[in-house]
Amino acid sequence: MNTDHIRNFCIIAHIDHGKSTLADRLLQKTGTISDRDMVEQVLDSMDLEREKGVTIKASAVRMNYTAQDGGTYELNLIDTPGHVDFNYEVSRALEACEGAVLVVDATQGIEAQTLANLYLALESDLEIIPVINKIDLPSAQPDVVAEEVENLLGIPAEDIPRISAKEGINIDQVLESVVKRVPPPKGNDDAALRALIFDSHYDPYKGVVAYIRVVEGHLRNTDSLRLMATNADVRPVEIGIFAPSMRPVDLLNSGDVGYVATGLKTVSECRVGDTITLTAHQAAEPLPGYLHPKPMVFAGIYPVDGDAYPDLKEALEKLQLNDASLTYQPEKSQALNFGFRCGFLGLFHMEIIQERLEREYDLDIVVTAPSVEYQVFLLDGTQIVIDSPVQLPDEGTISEIREPWMGLDIFSPTEFFGTIMDLANKRRAVFKEQNHPAPSRVHLSFEIPLSELIVDFFDDLKSRTRGYASMDYHFAEYRPGNLVKLEVLVGGEVVDALAAIVHKEDAYHKGQRLVTKLKEIIPRQLFDVAVQASADGRVISRANVKALRKDVLAKCYGGDISRKKKLLEKQKKGKRRMKMVGNVEIPQEAFMAVLRLGDE
Amino acid sequence: MEARIPAYVDALCQEIAWMGASGGKRMAVLTVFFGGGTPTLLSPDQVERILSTCRRNFSLMADAEISMEANPGTVSLESLRRLRTAGVNRLSYGMQSAHPADLRLLERIHDTFDVIRAVTWARQAGFDNLSLDLIFGLPFQSLERWRQTLETALGLHPEHLSLYALTVEHGTPFQAWARRGLVPLPDDDLAADMYDAASERLAQAGYFQYEISNWACERNGKILSCRHNLQYWRNLPYLGLGAGAHGYIAGHRTINVAAIPAYIERCRTMPADDAFPAGPATIQAQPIDRWTEIQETMMTGLRLTAEGVLADAFKARFGISLERVFGGEIDRLIQQGLLEWAGEPRALRLSLRGRLLGNAVFRQFVGSEKPADLGI
Ligand SMILES: Nc1nc2c(ncn2[C@@H]2O[C@H](COP(=O)(O)OP(=O)(O)OP(=O)(O)O)[C@@H](O)[C@H]2O)c(=O)[nH]1
Ligand SMILES: [Mg+2]
Repeated sequence: MNTDHIRNFCIIAHIDHGKSTLADRLLQKTGTISDRDMVEQVLDSMDLEREKGVTIKASAVRMNYTAQDGGTYELNLIDTPGHVDFNYEVSRALEACEGAVLVVDATQGIEAQTLANLYLALESDLEIIPVINKIDLPSAQPDVVAEEVENLLGIPAEDIPRISAKEGINIDQVLESVVKRVPPPKGNDDAALRALIFDSHYDPYKGVVAYIRVVEGHLRNTDSLRLMATNADVRPVEIGIFAPSMRPVDLLNSGDVGYVATGLKTVSECRVGDTITLTAHQAAEPLPGYLHPKPMVFAGIYPVDGDAYPDLKEALEKLQLNDASLTYQPEKSQALNFGFRCGFLGLFHMEIIQERLEREYDLDIVVTAPSVEYQVFLLDGTQIVIDSPVQLPDEGTISEIREPWMGLDIFSPTEFFGTIMDLANKRRAVFKEQNHPAPSRVHLSFEIPLSELIVDFFDDLKSRTRGYASMDYHFAEYRPGNLVKLEVLVGGEVVDALAAIVHKEDAYHKGQRLVTKLKEIIPRQLFDVAVQASADGRVISRANVKALRKDVLAKCYGGDISRKKKLLEKQKKGKRRMKMVGNVEIPQEAFMAVLRLGDE
Repeated sequence: MEARIPAYVDALCQEIAWMGASGGKRMAVLTVFFGGGTPTLLSPDQVERILSTCRRNFSLMADAEISMEANPGTVSLESLRRLRTAGVNRLSYGMQSAHPADLRLLERIHDTFDVIRAVTWARQAGFDNLSLDLIFGLPFQSLERWRQTLETALGLHPEHLSLYALTVEHGTPFQAWARRGLVPLPDDDLAADMYDAASERLAQAGYFQYEISNWACERNGKILSCRHNLQYWRNLPYLGLGAGAHGYIAGHRTINVAAIPAYIERCRTMPADDAFPAGPATIQAQPIDRWTEIQETMMTGLRLTAEGVLADAFKARFGISLERVFGGEIDRLIQQGLLEWAGEPRALRLSLRGRLLGNAVFRQFVGSEKPADLGI
């Protein structure tokens, strides 16, 4: 079969530059979604995405477009997220495409993730189609930005479409460029089937739904399929395309993007990155697949109520189906009992997972302060890797602790140079170099310990630069650090889940601040509760949460007993959401307190 | 507002008559309570009419307690005399404080002089059962100032005192002010000191504490507790009549429509007799199952600091012992020093320390699933 009429492309950009809005217009222009069914950022279908106005998961959709040359084309579009934490979603989407539309905001110009995602696309050999968006805004500077892009890509400024995704201006130019410039997929339809699984989600009726790009060969809904990594055979419940909701078809050809509903109940049998072939006519080699993203931030997740442990486990399993970058392993804490050590790509990713567990799975959970992964060298010559303060061995046995350092790129208007340098300094960053991609813009490169980066660094950067700076980071190397464990005792007992690994110079004042914070956060109990911080076996700071003396409702207004009872029940529920450590109730915030020990 | 009062009293009398007629055999009534500022709005004639409607439709006992809440700034000797003649025999004044700054904060129109005069008039009118309401834990209120309020109140020799800690509730102006930082939030430790000081002083002055917030004198070997409120706390039935009133009757908690015009409108047509306990103005009649009744009995009964929840009475009422239902909770609370077993007959009640930590105790008895194995 001929693939000349197929174009597979994705939309990439810095966060909020308008990818999903452009996708909306393309869907409308091609009649894939009627005006009546249109909502803003229609591909952001998760509740959380809609609420936050941010794309979290890439989504695929097929459109039919009749071009100016009279031909009808099948366009497979993948909208991608812009946030750094979800970079891997972009990398996977790129594998399923021959071209990428690079959206640049005409008011902002090139930002950190514009570059980061562009480089990813270039590595995958994609044809890049830059477009300049938001030209309707009064502060738009399309010419300036076009020149920036020309400098970067060598594409003449006048050839770059200037569009408004919001107002629907010049959307045709985008579609025409895609048709003209993105090459059709090469695959051989007659070869043995090789289809790449680039994403998946779990459907209660259809099991694991694998999103695939057919690279070679073709598949029918009646074929028995083999997953090459696990050697599992499945008879698909259905195969189909995204139009934009799942629509079953009988046949997917080489070059197509679509899905296979496998009926499988567990992820482990159907991994993102695996290759699907035919049981009857197997391909010799699987496709290269992906490098799995390595989690960089780790935190414990515990059910508030121990009975919910199996529910939490099941929820994490289901979430992993949707999100292959989430890792989890059983963990036991003295204070919090049974839970999971989870790995995330970044703090935003962690927040998303936390919210999804709470909302989509209705779980009450405690999340401990995130930690990075440390390499610990022991005096006996062995080396261990830890991702939680609890795992840090006894001080006396350690010869060296190494922590991960990141390369950090910050893009900003030049006026914020000073405040950015100041922030970097406070966070132990080492300045590397600066560039000026445009006259009033600066690109600063640093190296910084990841542990400094995960704690509100981006928020701080944004507030210092009124939102004008953007940043991107990548792993650089492990370096030795002067690190100690900061321990917390509540009511005389060590609460392992409150411990942190900190720099020796910071230990003293962090310990003091932590105790002060905890004193505010831990509600008064029926007895006095001592809170202490210690490091190196020395108590740094202590405080006392005085016993509660008064907690009683006033009179029964006019005999409204039901209202009183409801009030008490509500209070009781609130208490249940707190974790009992020994006989002290500790609210979720306390476990995060160690993070927010900034300078104010 | 004033213009609607005659129609409102008509409607109320209709409701009373219907309730009396529909509630099965003629109900015996031991207490009547006119809540919230009634004398300010109702003329003594109207009160008289309401009470005589009660007498016609219920067996109102000869020694019934008939209480009325009143605002000390709005009574007159004349009106008090006529209320007394109409049958009202207990008055409760919202004195709140003896300090002008506290009263201003509470947006009260009266001053201490009004209170003294209102008490004097009440005595002249023949009231021998008077209660004063006081509030403590107010922003800017010192322990000393609170003691002064208490002394002023004691100087008026009321038979009964109610002391309420200010609670900053959702939707009150206080909450709005506190949130905007205009007034300091009440300091719970200071409020606890005030409560302890008051408990000590009132005991010394011969008052007997019978509930978390209530103290009364003894007369002829009997404590002059508010018998009406005892009915709530013992979780026994009462009728709620009038706009917005809450009742607990025939195993149902009832709520009347709150808006006056809607109340008047609804009382124009009476429902069929078998609608009882839902009356003409009832917007909600919630049946109370056994388990809820047990929970509510604990929650209200433990407010009674002397009487508590009587072991025998509980067993007689629910057919199962307190210990079997709540053994674990009781042991834990006793261990925490919040509850105690006391007296003959044996009763479970708040410890001295538990009196100000009532919620921590009550919470243990509500909001849990019915234990499956007890056959409740
Ligand atoms: N004025 C104007 N606003 C636009 C235009 N395109 C997008 N926006 C707005 O920019 C914001 C971000 O748009 P999205 O389409 O969600 O951006 P995105 O790139 O998909 O964002 P992420 O998925 O979070 O990375 C929204 O408020 C859009 O309404 C445009 O052409 N003009
Ligand atoms: Mg988006």
